Amino acid sequence: MMDTYANPWAYRAQWAYLLIIVGALMAPVFYTIYISFNEHGFGAQIYDFTWDWYVVLFRNQQIIDSLSWTAYLGAATILTAVPMGLIAAKYYKRTRHKVVFVTLMLSPLFVPADILGSALLVYFKNLNRAFEWLGDSLGVTWFYGWFELGFFTALVGLILWTVPYAFVVILITMSRYRVQQTEAARSCGATAWQAFWQIEFPQIRVGVFSASAFVFILSFNEYTRTSLLKGGFDTFTTVLISHMFNTGMSGDSYAMGGLVSVISMAVIGAVLVYTLAKAERLEREARAKAEPVAA
Amino acid sequence: MSQNADNAVEVIDLSKNYGPVAALKEVSFSIESGKYFVLLGPSGGGKTTLLRLIGGFIKPSAGTVLLHGRDVTDLAPNERPTSMVFQSYALFPHMSVAKNVGYGLKLRRMRKAELDERVEEMLAMVGLEGYGARMPHELSGGQQQRVQLARSLVLQSDVLLLDEPLAALDAKLRKDMCLELKRIQEKVGITFIHVTHNQEEAMTVADRIAIVAGGELVEQGAPRDVYERPVRRFTADFIGENNLFDGRVTKTGGNAATVDLDFATVQALNGNGLAAGQAVALSIRSELLGLLTPADAENGGLQTIPAEYLEEVYLGLTTSHLVRLPNGQEIMVRTLSNGEAAATFEPGQTVTVGWKTEAARLHPD
Repeated sequence: MMDTYANPWAYRAQWAYLLIIVGALMAPVFYTIYISFNEHGFGAQIYDFTWDWYVVLFRNQQIIDSLSWTAYLGAATILTAVPMGLIAAKYYKRTRHKVVFVTLMLSPLFVPADILGSALLVYFKNLNRAFEWLGDSLGVTWFYGWFELGFFTALVGLILWTVPYAFVVILITMSRYRVQQTEAARSCGATAWQAFWQIEFPQIRVGVFSASAFVFILSFNEYTRTSLLKGGFDTFTTVLISHMFNTGMSGDSYAMGGLVSVISMAVIGAVLVYTLAKAERLEREARAKAEPVAA
Repeated sequence: MSQNADNAVEVIDLSKNYGPVAALKEVSFSIESGKYFVLLGPSGGGKTTLLRLIGGFIKPSAGTVLLHGRDVTDLAPNERPTSMVFQSYALFPHMSVAKNVGYGLKLRRMRKAELDERVEEMLAMVGLEGYGARMPHELSGGQQQRVQLARSLVLQSDVLLLDEPLAALDAKLRKDMCLELKRIQEKVGITFIHVTHNQEEAMTVADRIAIVAGGELVEQGAPRDVYERPVRRFTADFIGENNLFDGRVTKTGGNAATVDLDFATVQALNGNGLAAGQAVALSIRSELLGLLTPADAENGGLQTIPAEYLEEVYLGLTTSHLVRLPNGQEIMVRTLSNGEAAATFEPGQTVTVGWKTEAARLHPD
């Protein structure tokens, strides 16, 4: 809302500035999507709309497989990183050493992706060797391959990368939650779990859903750590980038880029729509129930 | 260990330390069943810590909590026969008023028809009939506290804990709610433990008041006793508007003691068996002091000291008069605002402050 004493042109200039920034950021993304529907590809003089590049994409078994792995990794990352972020946020509210705790929680973000990825790569390789040595010493083969590069190691890399974000997103929602409500629930006879599930969770649910969406997008788009730690399988992003490196940009490259953008925006859009719709519904219900009551 | 089941609450040598800081120091007391018990004291004195220890929200460093003779020291809040009303922010904002009130009953798996009936009864008791469908944010502060009260009372717990339940309300509403709380407590007949730093609130509702300060239980008693006959110097200083003088007992005889205040020598009742030479504090409530005319002062029977009149502060029902004693100490004399006192004295005028011997109390600590 505009301040009645403010200069209306300054107000319009702020909006124009915002739109220019968003436009500058999003224009290449939309251009990629636009090109992906051109039968003649990038740089062509003429534009003929086609779905062909997407058809080519979805007929490519490697793409289908990589999409599946990406989905599995995304789901596994959500199932681990979001609860970890939630527990960390709950701990943050209780601890007196907040600065130290936040620094530790966010520290994975301060390490460049290639450094963290290669460090984990070395770590897993050495761990794998140590367990193989342990197995050999004990005369068993059971320890072989525990930390060989694969789904688990890629997942660990993604968890390290996404937990700080999940923590921050949930913490923002949780900051409005009053711990007296948990105590009130306990005082009414609720166990610690009932107090969390019935009283606290409904109030931080939006943050948890937002964190899940954010974690999925981060895991979907992650290249450096995943490519170093994934072992034998491919994700959609690693296929896209190796495709760009090996064969250059082609029509199906733009289709892949368009697909990533559409999925990301769809996930974020869904969360936003859900959050806004829920907030509006709650407000509507509240207004309906607020009809005057005869004293 | 005493285990008297007639006592709703028994606290034995209860302590709570936060690192090197002792929030509560070996506090012991008991509360008779069905009484309205108030923990009164300054902020940071340990009264909320004590209440939360009774409710099981924090674990004691040492000591025992007995509820109706049963040791509950190691039990979680939901395993104790207590329920709690918080200062604010404790209603569940995503639930309607009716769901808030019925939450504890739902946890007990009560049949819906019975639950609805109990909720309606309880809302009626706190004066909120017809408010069940509303959301907490649609209620005023006072109404929200009533809902909290209903949510706790509906559980029919043995002990209701109230942590500064009226602190967030304005003065008028607080006064009304005090009377309401007292009425409800008398109706339901369960033990209430109410934490407050507000003396008027405490005096309005309490059957007994315990003064808690510096992590210790300083003194406890009926409101009239605590107000009119405080034993400890801290109580005299904290409760009411007392004037305190440091002095030394010079002579004792019968039930009287002579006290040297440096600038004057006065008589006081020696209820504590004080001996000559002992350092004491002498307290007199401001409403028991009077500003005397020369004729009054000469009539005798009163303890008197000369003073310089400084100013008056009109407070509506009463007027406070600030006077300075010969040693430079400023004290307050309070009179009913009948329109006469203000006209009698001028700033800078020499006046005589007087009181009946039995109005002063001696505190050896």
